Amino acid sequence: MRGSVTGHLILKDWRMNRPLLVLSIAAGAIGLAVVQWGTEPAAVVGSVWFFIALIMVGTMLPLGGIVNERKKQNLAFVMSLPISSMQYTTSKLVSSTGMFLVPWVTLVISAVLLIQVRHTFPHGGIPMLLILAMMPFVGFSLITAAALIGESEGWGIAANVACSSSYGLVWYFLSRIPTLMVNAKGPVAVWNSTVVDVLCVELGLVALLLGLTYFIQSRKRDFI
Amino acid sequence: MTDYAVEMSGVTKSYRYFSLDNVHLKVAEGQIMGLIGANGAGKSTTIRILMGLVHQDSGDVRVLGHRMPAEQVEAKWDIGFASEDMRLYDSMSVGWHMSFIQSIYESWDDKYAQVLLKRFGLRAEQKIKGLSHGQRVKATLLLVLARKPKLLVLDEPTTGLDPVARHEILRELTNVMADEGRSILFSSHNTQDVEQISDQITFIDRGSIIDSMDKEMYLDRWRRLRLEVPAGVELPALPGIIDVKQDGRLAVATANAFEPDLANAYENTGARVQRIETMTLEEIFVANVEHSREEVEACEVR
Repeated sequence: MRGSVTGHLILKDWRMNRPLLVLSIAAGAIGLAVVQWGTEPAAVVGSVWFFIALIMVGTMLPLGGIVNERKKQNLAFVMSLPISSMQYTTSKLVSSTGMFLVPWVTLVISAVLLIQVRHTFPHGGIPMLLILAMMPFVGFSLITAAALIGESEGWGIAANVACSSSYGLVWYFLSRIPTLMVNAKGPVAVWNSTVVDVLCVELGLVALLLGLTYFIQSRKRDFI
Repeated sequence: MTDYAVEMSGVTKSYRYFSLDNVHLKVAEGQIMGLIGANGAGKSTTIRILMGLVHQDSGDVRVLGHRMPAEQVEAKWDIGFASEDMRLYDSMSVGWHMSFIQSIYESWDDKYAQVLLKRFGLRAEQKIKGLSHGQRVKATLLLVLARKPKLLVLDEPTTGLDPVARHEILRELTNVMADEGRSILFSSHNTQDVEQISDQITFIDRGSIIDSMDKEMYLDRWRRLRLEVPAGVELPALPGIIDVKQDGRLAVATANAFEPDLANAYENTGARVQRIETMTLEEIFVANVEHSREEVEACEVR
């Protein structure tokens, strides 16, 4: 045996998705560059572009790597290898989450640094940036869970539609929370209890969705 | 004592509209077993259970000495599995797939892989999406064969192939069997393919194994007797005769345990045996399935 097969599957996914990761980082970077022009329209267009890049990679990774693998009948090839269904689930959760975090961490850190260094946005916006950036992470987790558990393109698309239509709604409710918005335009980033609570809920949702996926998959008896 | 590559006993699996019922199947080491069944007969379900991809509701499955599905990881190191519904990654090349499999299996024989590549008319740099169906099947088989598995499990590998591609693949499978320690379980609804390479044949229908024996025994034991039946003569029910179809003075009796005495028995009743015909594997399969279904229906009526 040459290393763990789970490891080989994770590496395979990374190799196959390299273009998508590069593309999403480039798209997000373009959004950040547009924001730097300093005008309000540029800030709106650049921010939207930035978040679209995060949403896009969070959608395409599970749809491409999990749903398509099943739809295009590659799964039988993978399952002919010496792995169990749980090792397959582990490889998919690790590779998808790891791959998503590459552009996510890169772009979010870049955005925070740009706010800190270039002062294009007030520093008070950093907590809100993190809260908003966590939303595609939650969306990614939901689509990944639906793709693995639902075992069909329909569930993956349904989760994608649910996420896409929820972003605006969640933003609407968040913007109605006074303690969240009061410091957003201030000169200093304020990490009050509301900010921490919202971030904890988002992180909790990510952990719950991915953990639940692992648990449900471990109870399945039929894999194909 | 015979060593078995595959041992299934009392295996059942129920779905909403289909169930696999009390399947017993044994493939001895070094044997090529052909599993023949119509579409939806249960071939793929049997193979999926055997591979550990689907858990049986009850019954025992052992593959290369490993209990399935619990020890599927250990077993799959020595199993080469290819199925009709298996696809390689469209956007990657044949060479990429070869490197991927080589990185996993120490048993990968690169020299043999290169020989197969040439023999199958493939090029390593070709992307899978640019290959024809036949070439894709060959590429899949190359990946399976070059890792030198002890057991090959092939679920309808020749379906949809042109005669030349089918011939190439069957020839390669025959070559593989030059290594006597290797076993093959080969499922198909194409009896010609199975007849060409198998030495043991199992028929499956509606989720049940209806017959299993040596290929030569099938061909020896099954016969069709064409009879002329004079008016007033009634054909008796004879042991070994599973079906009699009569149209006026002409009758056709199908025997699944033919003995020359059967012809004498008919002659003694006043019927005249016009001809005794051998049957092809396809005819044997169809007759076997029809007989099995009639027996099941008769049981249900009772």
